[in-house]
Amino acid sequence: MTTRTLFIGMDGATFTVLDDLTAGPEPVMPFMAKLFAQGARAKLRSTPNPLTPPAWVSLMTGRSPGHHGVFDFIRTEERGDDVFFTLYDSRDCRVETIWSIASRQGKRVAALNFPFTAPPPQDLQGFMVPGFVPWRHLRRNCAPKDLYDRLKSIPDFNPKELAWDFEQEKQALDELSDDDREKWVSYHLPREQQWFRIAEHLLREEAPDLMAVMFDGVDKLQHQAWLYIDPRQQLGELSEYHQRMRVLCMAYFRQLDGFIERLVTLAGPEVQVFLASDHGFTATHEIVRINTYLEEKGYLKWLDVPNTDAGRRREDSMFAYLDWANTFAYCGTPSSNGITIRKIRKPGDTGVKPEDYEALRDRLIHDLGEFRDPTSGERIVTEIHKREDVFSGSAMEDAPDLLLVLRDFGFVSIKNKHPAVEPRPTLAGTHHPDGVFIAYGPGIKPGAILDRRNITDVGSTLLYSVGLPVPSDFEGRVPEAMLTERYLATHPIEIGAATLGRRTDANAASMSDSEKEKIMAQLQMLGYME
Amino acid sequence: MMQAAEKPRHGMTESAVLTIVEDLIQDWGLELSTGLHGATLLVEELDFASVDIIQLCVALEQHYGRKLGFQDLLMVDGSYVGDLSIAQVAKFVDARLMQPAGIVQ
Repeated sequence: MTTRTLFIGMDGATFTVLDDLTAGPEPVMPFMAKLFAQGARAKLRSTPNPLTPPAWVSLMTGRSPGHHGVFDFIRTEERGDDVFFTLYDSRDCRVETIWSIASRQGKRVAALNFPFTAPPPQDLQGFMVPGFVPWRHLRRNCAPKDLYDRLKSIPDFNPKELAWDFEQEKQALDELSDDDREKWVSYHLPREQQWFRIAEHLLREEAPDLMAVMFDGVDKLQHQAWLYIDPRQQLGELSEYHQRMRVLCMAYFRQLDGFIERLVTLAGPEVQVFLASDHGFTATHEIVRINTYLEEKGYLKWLDVPNTDAGRRREDSMFAYLDWANTFAYCGTPSSNGITIRKIRKPGDTGVKPEDYEALRDRLIHDLGEFRDPTSGERIVTEIHKREDVFSGSAMEDAPDLLLVLRDFGFVSIKNKHPAVEPRPTLAGTHHPDGVFIAYGPGIKPGAILDRRNITDVGSTLLYSVGLPVPSDFEGRVPEAMLTERYLATHPIEIGAATLGRRTDANAASMSDSEKEKIMAQLQMLGYME
Repeated sequence: MMQAAEKPRHGMTESAVLTIVEDLIQDWGLELSTGLHGATLLVEELDFASVDIIQLCVALEQHYGRKLGFQDLLMVDGSYVGDLSIAQVAKFVDARLMQPAGIVQ
């Protein structure tokens, strides 16, 4: 067995930071600097809402969210006068992943820490340790079944350090104290090491055709510590705390650079290496309380929150708490940046009549366009997309009716607070639509800088690199400008049969028959409900 | 007759739930004085958090190859139940297995 392709995901990586960390005589990331010099690179346009779930799933499927159907961490589901919020998992993805496509064509894959890969596909040939899974459930969600016991033989393997800790992760969007922020950064150093060790072990022992690992600390650090990472924020006199945080963040990136170097070296000179992120990063400087604005415009009504611990938890939760019977349009979750219009589907439902839908949506678009900075008069929402324009496909009905882009690319707040817009107390990191795509190794054009590519191109490229045709229904294309003419001549890009669509195992089939079913108790997983 | 026919089936389901729970908790470091049995409470005795209940539901659905509509077990009158025994879970699964797959909502 010989590995042909190594893929390293870096959640949220941006050239804004990587260019800075690879510059100068003593760069923080010297190996990344080598990849830039000897490899090819392009900005990578994320999904319309540049968010981890839709973006990684697009990367893994070569399809846009309107086709794969994963739009957010949390999915809203209307049930009469109630709206339930549920979590997405791999069973919600409506199309084949590259892991399954490669597996059924005889390739062995290893996919480590990719979100929405749990539960793992039954047709996998190789190894999967999913991301976003709490440690107590890693064993069940690893594939093959004996993998978890094997991982335990890796020196210093610690599932508690490795796995998703929801209490930790949900801090990503919270305002943290200085002390907690420092702990937050420190928490991700050993965590990435755990993933690296597994990748190193499988690469060395199994050499799968396609070896893939994702490091998600980049995103987490940048959310909480953008001030100390963004090169534009390192000017002038810096506080002692700022300098300490900068050192800590640089230690993270230095460690990551070392992991990448060791994996690339271990893979060997014949292996093509690709690195990509699901989105980029930038600074957000204001809080936009979108439901507050919608309430002011008469589209929704808040529900009174009881003055209890449970009430306060609910108030602070990541999904809207509204009087649904008197709500016509709302934003369900901060990460969605979307507005959902409540439509009457059957007699007795509350919401908007089907014949009034277009008029209400047009009025909503107008009102959102008039949401302006009270001082400058500048528009707060710079882009308002109808779902058919950005989420067309068989899964479009699950998408929000409108997708918003804020002027600073921030995520909206759904809290019942005033005013509707105000400056953040401190600058924070948020997602930018442009991530990174980097290639290195045999057949890669050294020093090539390509025009911006699309995130769906990554899946196509990985299948091509591993020696497989690109499915005809993939939206992504292999970026030829990344490859040498000689390599292309000997390795022509083939377009093959379409994907198989939904997985064919009995379990997945039964899921597809009952798409509306969700486990409402998933809400509890978030720790927000009694 | 009905009861006689259901008993062995329920016994099999409870055994399946026990096996799955046993598999689920094997790394949790729990010290169970009386072992796992039908009366074992998921939250009080096995330290189940909500995410663990969800994972159990997913495991059971995978085991039976179909959706079982666990929201009807976990939510009563709009509120989440506080705790469940393994036997309660098995009884619910049993009832759902009696229904055609398409009926479960």
